[in-house]
Amino acid sequence: MEKTEAVVIRVADFSETSRVVTLFSRDFGKIAGLAKGGRRLKGPFEAALDLLATCQIVFLRKSSASLDLLTEAKLISRFRPYGRSLHSLYGGYYVAELLSGLTEDYDPHPVLYDQAILALQRLAGDADFRSVLLRFEMALLREIGQLPALDFCITCNTPVGDDRRFAFWVSAGGLICSHCQRPEYGSPTITADAATLLSRFSDPNSPIPDIPPDRLPELRRVVTPAICHVLEHRPKMLRFLPF
Amino acid sequence: MRLTDMARQRFETTDHPYGESVGCLINEFARLPGIGRKSAERLAHHVLSCSGEEALGLADAIRQVKESIRYCTLCFNLTEDELCSICRDTRRNQQVVCVVEQPRDIVSLEAAGVFEGVYHVLGGALAPLSGVGPEQLRIEPLLRRVRSEGVTEVVMATNPTLEGDGTALFLSNLLDELPVSVTRLARGIASGSVLEFANREMLADAMRGRQTF
Ligand SMILES: [Zn+2]
Ligand SMILES: [Zn+2]
Repeated sequence: MEKTEAVVIRVADFSETSRVVTLFSRDFGKIAGLAKGGRRLKGPFEAALDLLATCQIVFLRKSSASLDLLTEAKLISRFRPYGRSLHSLYGGYYVAELLSGLTEDYDPHPVLYDQAILALQRLAGDADFRSVLLRFEMALLREIGQLPALDFCITCNTPVGDDRRFAFWVSAGGLICSHCQRPEYGSPTITADAATLLSRFSDPNSPIPDIPPDRLPELRRVVTPAICHVLEHRPKMLRFLPF
Repeated sequence: MRLTDMARQRFETTDHPYGESVGCLINEFARLPGIGRKSAERLAHHVLSCSGEEALGLADAIRQVKESIRYCTLCFNLTEDELCSICRDTRRNQQVVCVVEQPRDIVSLEAAGVFEGVYHVLGGALAPLSGVGPEQLRIEPLLRRVRSEGVTEVVMATNPTLEGDGTALFLSNLLDELPVSVTRLARGIASGSVLEFANREMLADAMRGRQTF
């Protein structure tokens, strides 16, 4: 029997009364378990296993060939999007999609877990969903060891200074200065200012910076390809989020 | 492979001492909701031992349902006719439309017996992560109905889950532009229970959804 706090990132009905639930847990990372009676209102799950709900769970770890068995879930909090904002809701779905696609079973990341919970709380409040998601994406990339190098040129090691333009080379995971750039890289460029702003997003302990509206496309030109690269496809939710 | 398929596959084999057709029948029964392997075997043995007439009667009933039941062209409820019995009923208020995810939700709401309007079945809830976007649901037909049939109220009765609520939110944002009032089912404390045992969430819902006496 294992006990932990977890957030529900995927729910599939298994039978009339049971569900297969994927959770991202604080102490065990991603787990998928069968919740017998998980669709009932009463019983050990009390309708707690809704998408993006945070719960205290108890589960039975099974051998690698079969699903774990969830035996109990107590609701800590449900995710409620802010006001009537679909962006807040879709932002929450995006957090679930990234956790589900970019973490491994039984690979715990407590820091990432805390960041995910914070992101969901911020999305449920009146914070700007763009900055909240950018913070979460950067914290996630850092936590899984895929954060692009943002403070020097990855070929010549020149530190990122003022008023110079850099290209983002996604497969090499970093910036290239104008001297080292080759036309065949064909990467989008960002300014040194934008690179500095972006690195501030990757530090989970600093306050979330404001994004000047004209800066956002520049930041997304780095973060979206970086996410697509590690995920190996374009996240489904990007279609619904007006970045 | 989907997780649910993976778990199911472990059970599925058509091997059976009586022959493959019996194995197949057991598998088919085992797919039914609420039927485990043991119950499926019991049902199969029943079919093997009952009269041919009785067994084929069951097969015919299944065939008939699948061949004659279709969607109501107005509300997408299940029916044997062009329009379902609720849409045909002239005593019902056609100006009040209750939006549900599935036809079986209509059955539950009708059993409660308090709603006098008509329904609209979406065919699911918006679930972008599972590939269900607005274009997969019957949203356009709902908007057409509201625009052209003098609908005055749309009652959201999607499931009180994140995706159900999200679907209601999506629809109410669309309906904002139309001259129609949008309401949703109240939620909160179950009748017959006591406040002391209601959890925080139920109490908060009940307080938010309070009504005038
Ligand atoms: Zn360089
Ligand atoms: Zn109808």
